[in-house]
Order: sequence, then C-alpha cells, then structure tokens
Amino acid sequence: MRFLAYILRQTGKNLRQTWGTQIMTLLTVTLSVLIFAFFFLIYTNMIRASERLGNDVRLIVYLDQEVPEQMRPEFEKKIRDFAPVEKIVFVSRTEAFAKLSAQLGKEKDVLNDLGPDFLPPSIEVYPLKTLNDLTKISQFSDFLLTLPHAAKVQSGSDWLRRFGYFTNLLRVVVLLSAGLLIISMTFIISYTLRLTVLSRQGELEVLRLLGATSAYIRLPLLLEGMLQGLLGSSLGLAALYSLYQWIANRFSGPGFLKLFDITFFPPEITAGILLTSIVLCTAGSLFSIRRFIRI
Amino acid sequence: MLYFINNYCNIMYYSSLAAIRRAFPPSDKKGFHMPRDASTEKPLVELVNVTKIYPPDVVAAEDVSLRIYKGEILFLTGTSGAGKTTLIKLICCLETPTRGLIEVAGRNLSRISSAGVQRMRQKIGVAYQDFRLLDKQTVLQNIAMAMEVTYASPKLIRFRVEELLELLNLSDKRDKLAGELSRGEQQRVALARAAANGPSLLLADEPTGNLDPVATELVINLFRYLNERNGTTIVVATHDESIYADTEYRVMSLSKGQLSAHPSRAPHQIELFEA
Repeated sequence: MRFLAYILRQTGKNLRQTWGTQIMTLLTVTLSVLIFAFFFLIYTNMIRASERLGNDVRLIVYLDQEVPEQMRPEFEKKIRDFAPVEKIVFVSRTEAFAKLSAQLGKEKDVLNDLGPDFLPPSIEVYPLKTLNDLTKISQFSDFLLTLPHAAKVQSGSDWLRRFGYFTNLLRVVVLLSAGLLIISMTFIISYTLRLTVLSRQGELEVLRLLGATSAYIRLPLLLEGMLQGLLGSSLGLAALYSLYQWIANRFSGPGFLKLFDITFFPPEITAGILLTSIVLCTAGSLFSIRRFIRI
Repeated sequence: MLYFINNYCNIMYYSSLAAIRRAFPPSDKKGFHMPRDASTEKPLVELVNVTKIYPPDVVAAEDVSLRIYKGEILFLTGTSGAGKTTLIKLICCLETPTRGLIEVAGRNLSRISSAGVQRMRQKIGVAYQDFRLLDKQTVLQNIAMAMEVTYASPKLIRFRVEELLELLNLSDKRDKLAGELSRGEQQRVALARAAANGPSLLLADEPTGNLDPVATELVINLFRYLNERNGTTIVVATHDESIYADTEYRVMSLSKGQLSAHPSRAPHQIELFEA
C-alpha cells in the first residue's frame, strides 16, 4: 500500500514538473485517437451499411415479351440451377403498371395518358443471402441476360461495386490513421518521458546512489505513460462521441443518412481503443525508460 | 501487520534513544572501541589485494587489503589524490576494482546483481565529498529521500529527520532549499541524509572539510552517537588531522594508492593491519 502511495506521489511529481509538455502530449494523443476513431467509426458504419445493402440485393430481368404461364416453371428451373434463389416473381405488364400506380399514390394521374402496356414485363429474382459476392452477382446477372426474351438486367451491382471501392479506400485510410496513432503515441510518449528523465537527471542519479530500486524509479514513469494513454484516448473518444451526437441530432430523419443509420462503437470496441492506447503509450514509456535510465 | 509493528518499534526505539541521549549526553572524550580480534571475527567489509587503475594509467589504489569490523570506526587519511575517495567508491559499488576482491557483509561485490547493489546501498549511508544534494529541494526533502526509497512510513521519516536536524543543529533550516545553504550546512545535510536510514555502514568522505570547529564537533558527536547507540560501522576519509589526532580508533593512511597504518598509531594497530 505504501509502495503504491510512493509510486503515485512520484508520478504526480513528474507530471507537475513537466506539465507543459504533458499537456502537449495529452493533446497529441487525444488528436491521434480522435482521427483514428473517426475514420474507424465511418468505416464500421459503411461496412454495416454495405452488409445491409447486400442483404437487399434483387435482380430484375426486363423482357421483350411476357413469359407464358406454361413456360414459367422452365425459366424457374434454369435460374435455380445456376444459383440458389430465395424466390422468383414474374411481373406482367399490367402488374408492373399497377405497382407503379400504387407507388405514385395521389400522383398516379400522370399515368392516365399512358396505356397499361407501356411498362415491360419482368422477372424479379431474389437470390439467397449467401450470394453476397459482387463477382458472383455480376456472373448471375450475365447469365440472366442469356434467358430467352431478356432485354436488360438491373442488378445494382455497379452501385454496389462503387460502394465497395469506397469502403476499400476507407479501409486504407483507417489503416493509415492507425499507423499514425501507433507512431504518434509511442514516439510522442517516448519523447515526453525523455524530457522528464532529462529534467530529473540529477534527482534520478541521487536516487540511484541512495539505493532506490528499479521499481521505485521506473514505475512512476511507466504509470505516466499509462495515464497519458488512458486520459488521451478517453478525451479523444469523448470528443468523437460529442461529434457523433451532434451529427445524429442534426441529420436524423429520412434521407441519405437514414440509409447508413450511424451508430457509435459498441462498448467492446470502445474498451479496445482505450486498451490499445494505454498499451501503446506504455510501450513508448518502456522504450524511453530502457533507453535512458540505467540502474 | 509486521511492517506496522516494525515501524512502531522503530519509533519507540528512537524515542528511547532520544531520552537516553538527554539523560546521558555523549562524553567529549574521543576514546573509542578497541580493534577486534582479527583472527576470529568476520569483517563487515573486506578488501583483498584491491587495485584500481583509471585509464590510461592512473593508479588510485594499489594492492590494498583491509578489514573493517562491525561497530568499528576507521579513519582513512591521506593527502588529496591519495585514493581515499576511490576506496569509498569501491566499497559502495560506485566503482569496480581493476583487480582484487571486495566483500561487504560477506557478499562479493563483483558478483552482486544491480538489484542487490541497490538493496545494499539502502543499508550503507554515504556522505559524498561533493554532497550530491538536490539544490531545488528543501533540507527536509533531501534527508527524507534516503528513507523514502526504503518505503519507510511518513511518520518515521519525520521523526528521524527532525532528530538528525536537531543533532546537527540544523532544525531552523529544515524548510530551506539546499541550494541556499552554506557549504558547511550542506555538508551536514549530506551527513544527515547518510545517517537517515540508521545504516549498518556509514562512509563519510571528507565530512568536516567545510566545517568550523563547533560544527566539526557536532559531526564527531553524530558519529559517536550512531556508533555507540546503533553499532554503526563508520569509515571516515579525511585529511583533517584534528578529528583523528587523539582518537583510539584505527587510523589508516593512504599514499599514492597504497594503504598502511598511520605512523602515529600504536604498534598493535600496525600488527592488526599486517594480520
């Protein structure tokens, strides 16, 4: 207990002696965590949105002419033989017209001058959730185009592909910001501790002469790094949470953001970021201690 | 629990010592313990054929053999550059010998781990010639630091520091910064710090170099007090003849790194040295 009290007191003393540097370090750690966590939050939300979009995949095969009732089982067999499908819906011209008319609601008057046959017949193919790979969807789309009377296939795969590229780009940004986080934390903490050690060189020398143990000298410095990691990452995450709340309040409701349905990190990710920051800062301390303190 | 009992006992012990000291003030007689029987008693410090050569070829100690017994006070005399400080540094592991063996409390210093050195330093009080005080810390903080590294209780630290300040007539300086003190006062603070942990071995390098006769007397009384009451073994490296002129303690002389019994010493001391 007394050992702990001494270590804590010594840590407090270190922080007081180099408070200016400590604040700068804290801000750097906070900013690094904020940048990384910001991109990581966007990335995780994009991944979630991408999964949701993948679940809603539907391929529409527009036809030159309607498929007669007796031919439908044959079409279904061909499609099911190529890929696992949840359901297949044949839409006639009139059904398509009725559907559009229902979607337009009060505005359905605009269809008055158009005949009920102006929309093409189609087959709506709902693949199983297991078909979530863009390449497979594209292959499936190509196959559907070979069906008799098929004029065009709308799969949304191009949009999904672009979304995928964006997600990959975001992954690179997250990795880069993670690299920035690692470098800034370990090096800045290491540098700060170096300053602490240099400012207390005389005292550390006397402590060594008086028989201070390695733990007595090193633990406060290690604790200093851990505290910087804990405080810096807490502040960074708190700042991000405030930003998240601000965005959520300002942009809630229908629209683009509704599609993404932004959510904050679950507790385990938050704890993971905190823990990683603490570990990185402690590693920075350890590096400095091993390099600059000889006992 | 044991720790608290230990601290309590320490406080009671030191309270008693203070009372005893008030009741029986130390005599001003500079008469001392006789040297031990070298043939039977195990020395606290033993140097066997120790040589220390600083690069490129400065011989600070040459083939020095010396035994220092528990509870003994030993004066190491010699002119500047004779090798006194080197010998002190060798004993407290601040230097390693070029050749030879050094044992402290039965432990060979060449085989001791760095943690072992730190533990040993907690039990050896050293008053350095250049004091090694922290100028920006108070007298109290400087002395307390020696006890803090052993995780002593704040209560015990306060008690001992006050006692030492009183013994060395520094009570009114307790809250002054060490850098603001005179050289003589700094020297006494360095001594107080060396004595703070109640060490079993106290090494003092030129402890009276900057002191007037009154302060010198205080230091001598502190040594006597620590030696008589705690049984502390004390090694004093000095060129100040006034502090060992009338002593019955052992006085050894260093000259150009070579150790010999002081010429003024009784023949039995020379015999002991030769033994």
